[in-house]
Amino acid sequence: MAYDEKRILEMLHEDDISRRRAFESIVRNFSEQLYWQIRHMVLSHDDANDILQNTFIKAWTNLDSFMGYSRISTWLYRIAINETLTFLNKQKNTVPIETDEEGEMSIAERLESDPYFDGDLTERQLQEAIATLPEKQRMVFNMKYFNEMKYEEISELLGTSVGALKASFHIAVKKIEEYFNNID
Amino acid sequence: MNKEVKYKIDEREPRRPFSVPEGYFENLTQNIMAALPEQEPLYSTSIVVTPWMRIRPYLYSAAAFAGIFFCIKAAVGISSTNNQAGMAQTQETTIYSDEYIDSFLETAMIDDCTLYYTLVESN
Repeated sequence: MAYDEKRILEMLHEDDISRRRAFESIVRNFSEQLYWQIRHMVLSHDDANDILQNTFIKAWTNLDSFMGYSRISTWLYRIAINETLTFLNKQKNTVPIETDEEGEMSIAERLESDPYFDGDLTERQLQEAIATLPEKQRMVFNMKYFNEMKYEEISELLGTSVGALKASFHIAVKKIEEYFNNID
Repeated sequence: MNKEVKYKIDEREPRRPFSVPEGYFENLTQNIMAALPEQEPLYSTSIVVTPWMRIRPYLYSAAAFAGIFFCIKAAVGISSTNNQAGMAQTQETTIYSDEYIDSFLETAMIDDCTLYYTLVESN
């Protein structure tokens, strides 16, 4: 069955069975793209899977608050972004992500031992460079570079002007190139 | 002097270097749906409005107005009491001063300079 947002919205107002079927349709349509959005931020598959599950559980339990003023995708993305940022903040306070201290793994080292990372050395270094960016800049970079989203779409999701997003992406690119220049 | 850039973002084709366990996306919808809480969300269910819920805002407003009224009344009461006390004190001082001055002026036969010093010393 093709995804029909108008019909889905109608079904969300109907009986319990229709509502559950409508939500299943939403999950089927958006879960993969949301997964990749989250995965690029947290890097680990297990963490991305947990955050994705939490995103849909939160959406399901807060279905009342979705009034249909924005698109379903926008609403889901916002929940996913919040869940991801909450996770990263918790992680920052508990696990040192990257440090030069002995005994603690850098992102590149962690990715090297990750069975679900199949990139080469440069790609590992690229992920390490991206991880040095501030969270929002990292999000903008991932959305634009890996997910190839339009600035207008990102603007709707993050509530930031297109001009500011372009500037943010440009600065992120410069920082990443600078990171590579400083290797060795 | 232009610095050589070792890694140019726009010169590389974006590639996603991540993978997922086999069959992950095939079972994802099913797994997410299975993880949803059993209890259905109360979507479009009307809330039962009790009589207390209906009168509650009016009672709160009335209580707030009563509070404001008593505060203003208390403030005005204190202020007027203070004014009355102040006036009484001023009046008493004025009467006392006049009598005192009159007795000096009528009986003492003193000049202005002596009167001034006598008043200053008496205070």
